[in-house]
Amino acid sequence: MGGEITLGHYLVLSGALFLIGLAGVVLRRSLLVVMMSLELLLNAANLALVAVGRFQGIPDPQVAVFFVITVAAAEAALGLAILVAIFRIKKTTAADQMASLRF
Amino acid sequence: MEQIFFWMLAAGLLISAVTVVAVRNPVTNAVCLVSALVFQAALFITLEATFLAAVQVIVYAGAVMVLFLFVIMLLDVRVEVLGKFSWPKIAGVGLVLVLALVGLPKLSSAFPFAGEVLHWGRAKVPGTAQDLGHLLFSAYGPLFLTTGVLLLVATVGVVVLCRRDTEA
Amino acid sequence: MIAYSPYLVLLLPLFAALVIRLFLHPFPRFAISVSTLACLGSFIGSLLLLFSGALGSTVAIPAIPWIEFAGLKADFGLLMDPLARLMATLVSGIALLVHIYSIGYLKEDPHRSRFFAELSLFVFSMMGIVLADNLVTMFLFWELVGLSSYLLIGFWFDRPAAGAAANKAFLVNRIGDFGFILGILGVWSLFGTVSLVDLPSSLAASPGGWAVTAVGLGLFCGCLGKSAQFPLHVWLPDSMEGPTPVSSLLHAATMVVAGVYMLIRVLPILELSTVTMTTIAWVGGAMTLLPALIACQQNDIKRILAYSTLSEIAYMVMAVGLGVTGPAMYHLTMHAFFKCLLFLAAGSVIHGCHEVQDIWKMGGLGKRMPFTAIVTGIGTLALCGIPPLSGFWSKDEIFAATAHHPALALVSMVAGFFTSFFMLRLILVAFGGSPRSEGARHAHEGSASLIFPMLILAILSVAGGFLPVNSFLGVAPEGTHVSWTLWVSLVLALAGFVPAFFIYRVATRDPLSIPILQGKFYVDEFYNRVLVANQDGLGKLADAFEGWVVRGFLVRGSGVMARAAGQGLRLVQCGQVQVYATVFILGALSLLWWILKSGVR
Repeated sequence: MGGEITLGHYLVLSGALFLIGLAGVVLRRSLLVVMMSLELLLNAANLALVAVGRFQGIPDPQVAVFFVITVAAAEAALGLAILVAIFRIKKTTAADQMASLRF
Repeated sequence: MEQIFFWMLAAGLLISAVTVVAVRNPVTNAVCLVSALVFQAALFITLEATFLAAVQVIVYAGAVMVLFLFVIMLLDVRVEVLGKFSWPKIAGVGLVLVLALVGLPKLSSAFPFAGEVLHWGRAKVPGTAQDLGHLLFSAYGPLFLTTGVLLLVATVGVVVLCRRDTEA
Repeated sequence: MIAYSPYLVLLLPLFAALVIRLFLHPFPRFAISVSTLACLGSFIGSLLLLFSGALGSTVAIPAIPWIEFAGLKADFGLLMDPLARLMATLVSGIALLVHIYSIGYLKEDPHRSRFFAELSLFVFSMMGIVLADNLVTMFLFWELVGLSSYLLIGFWFDRPAAGAAANKAFLVNRIGDFGFILGILGVWSLFGTVSLVDLPSSLAASPGGWAVTAVGLGLFCGCLGKSAQFPLHVWLPDSMEGPTPVSSLLHAATMVVAGVYMLIRVLPILELSTVTMTTIAWVGGAMTLLPALIACQQNDIKRILAYSTLSEIAYMVMAVGLGVTGPAMYHLTMHAFFKCLLFLAAGSVIHGCHEVQDIWKMGGLGKRMPFTAIVTGIGTLALCGIPPLSGFWSKDEIFAATAHHPALALVSMVAGFFTSFFMLRLILVAFGGSPRSEGARHAHEGSASLIFPMLILAILSVAGGFLPVNSFLGVAPEGTHVSWTLWVSLVLALAGFVPAFFIYRVATRDPLSIPILQGKFYVDEFYNRVLVANQDGLGKLADAFEGWVVRGFLVRGSGVMARAAGQGLRLVQCGQVQVYATVFILGALSLLWWILKSGVR
C-alpha cells in the first residue's frame, strides 16, 4: 500500500459509493432497498463534503453535512410512511407495480 | 497509519454498500447498510470530523436504520422476487457505470487541490461538537431553526400518512 | 333650441318607428296613428320650410359635430337649399298619402304594426338622404334606405318569392353602394371635403383627368343601384313582391329617385368629366327604351308599372347626363305624382280583385271600379305626356334638352311611343272587355282610405304641371320656346295608342308573343348563367380550399401533429420511477460533462 492518502482518494471513494447507490436506485425492485440506496447516495455526498472541507480547512461543509443528515432523517421517515401507505393499498413494495401515474 | 485505516475502511464501506444493493433479503440489506454507515462514521473520524461521526452513528445507524428495520418487520417483506429482465434498463445503467468509472478519476483530478496529502494531527479544521455548535447557533442559526420546522412538518406528515381512517 | 327645430322633420318618423317597435307592436291602431301622425308632422314641417324658403327666409340650421379625423370632417347637418326643401316636401307628402292608403290596404294584415314601423323608418331614412349636407351622412341614410327597402319588400317574408326579391334588391344595391362609397372616398381624397356645401368651391383644385372620371362613375354606380338603372336594374321588377303601397312609395315615387337626387347633388363633380356625363346620358337614354319594350310583353300589372318606372327614371338620369337638373327635378316631382297614383290604382285593382295581379285575369273592371279606372286613365295620360297633364310639361322640358342630341332624342321619343302602347294595353286588357276570372267578377272599389290618396294624386297629376316647381327650385323658367322635339314626341306618344287600341281592343289573350321581351332581354338569365355560376364555382373552390388546406391541413394538421407528438411523448411517461431516475441521471451526467467541457477553471 504505497503512496500517501490524498483528497483524490476520498473523492474517488465517494464517487464509487455514489455509483453503487445509483445502481441500487435504478435496478432494485423493492422500494425499501431503493430507499436504502438513496441513503448511500446521501452518504457519498457527505463523504465528499467532509473530505473537501477537511483539506481546504473550512468548517462550513461539516455544518452542511449536519443539515443533510437531519434532512435525510426526515426524508427517511416520510418516505417510509409513504411506503407503508402504498403497501396498504397495493400489498407490495415492488417499484414496477407502482405505475398508476401513466397514460 | 493513515493508509492502513483508509484502505481498510474504504474496503469495508464499499463491500457493505455492494451488499446493500446486491442481496435480495431486505433484513440483510438493512444490516449491511448499518455497517456501511458505521464505516462511513469511521471515515469521518479519519477526516477529524468527530462530532459528525457521532451524529452519523446516532442518527443514521441508530434512529434511521431502526426505522427501516421496523418497517421491514411491519410490512413483513419477504425475499424480493426478481423483476422482469429489462435490456434497456441494464444497458442504460451499464453505460452510466462505464462512463462513470472512466470519468471518476478525471473528475477527482479536476479539483486543483486533489493531490493534497492527509496527515493526522495537523488538522486545520475544528471538528468537535463545541466548534460546530458555535457555528450552528451563530452563523447558521436561522437555518438550524428552519430545519427544526422541517422535522416538525415531516413528523406531522408521517402521522397523517399512516393514520388509518377509522370511519372508512 | 328653436334653431334645431328643423331636425324634427327628420326625427319624427324615426321616433315613431322606435316607439312602435318598442312599445306598440301589439296595438296596431296606435301604431298606425303614431306612424301617420309622425309623417303628417314631418310633412307640415317640410311644407313650412318650403314656403319659408320660397319667401326667401334663410334660417341657419346649426350642424351637430359628428366625425372629425385625419382631414375628414362630416358634421351631422341639414342642407336646406331649395332642392332639399322641395324634395323633402315631396317625400313626406307622398309618404303621408301612402300612409293613409296603407291603413285601408292592410286593414286585415295581422302584422301591420311592423309595416308601419318599417314605413316610418323608411321616411326617416329618405328624409335623411334628402337633407344630408355631406356625402358621408348621405351614405349613412342611403344604406338605411336600402335596409328599409329590404324590410318592406320582404314584409310578407313567409312568401319565398318575397324573401328572394328582398335579398336580390339588397345584394344588387350593395354592388351599387360599393361604387358609391368608392366615389365618396375619391371625392374626399381629390377635393379634401365631403361637404355638399363646400364642394362647389373646392372643385377649383380639381386635378382633372381619369381620376375625376373614375370618381364620377363611382358616384353614378350608387345611382345605378338605387335608381335601378342598367345593369343593376334587375331588382326593381322583383321588388314588386312587396305590398303595393311599398311599391308605390319606395319603388316608384321616392326611393328609386334618390339616385337621381344624388346625381343632381354631385353634379358639379360629374360635370368635370365629359366621359362621365356622356356615360350617364347614354345609360339613361338606353334605359328609357329597353324597359318600355319589356313592359309591352309583361302580364303582371305591377311589373308593367315597374318597368315603366325604370323608363321614367331613365329620363331623369338622361337629363342629368345632359346637365339640365331643372327638368330632371321637375320630372322627378311629376313622376312621383302620377306613378304613385298608378301604383295606388294598381293596388286598388289588386285589392278589389282579391290578389289577382295578372292583367289577363282581370277585364271588365271599368264598370265595377269606375273610380279606379278613371284615375288610372289620368295617370296614363300624365305618364305618356299628353297635354296639359303634369307629365307633358316635365317630359317636354327633358325632350327640349335633347334637341341638340338627335340620337338621344330619337331613342327617348321612341320609348315614349312604347310607353303609350303598353299603358293603353294595360288599360284595355284590365279595365275593358269582360271579366276573365272569379276575382275580377267580384271586384269592388276600396274604402275611403284607398280612394282619398288616389283622389289627391289624381288632382296633382292633372294640375301638377301648373305647380311653380321651378320657382321653388329657384330656377328661372326658360321661356316658352317651342322646339321640334315637342311635336315629334307628342306625335310619337299619341301614335303609341293606335296599335295598342287595335290589337288589344277585344283581345282575351295576348295576340303578340315576343320571347325576348317576355324574357326581359334575358339579363337575369345572363346573371344566373354567367355571374352566379362563376360565383358558385368560386365558392366551391374556396370551399375546397377551406376544407382541404385550411381545415384539413392547417387546423386538423396541426392538431394531428400535436396529437402525434403527445402519443409519442406519452410513451416516455411510463410511470416507472426508476426509469425517470435513469433519465434524470443521464441528464445530470450530460450537464456535468458540459460544465467540465466548457471549462470551469
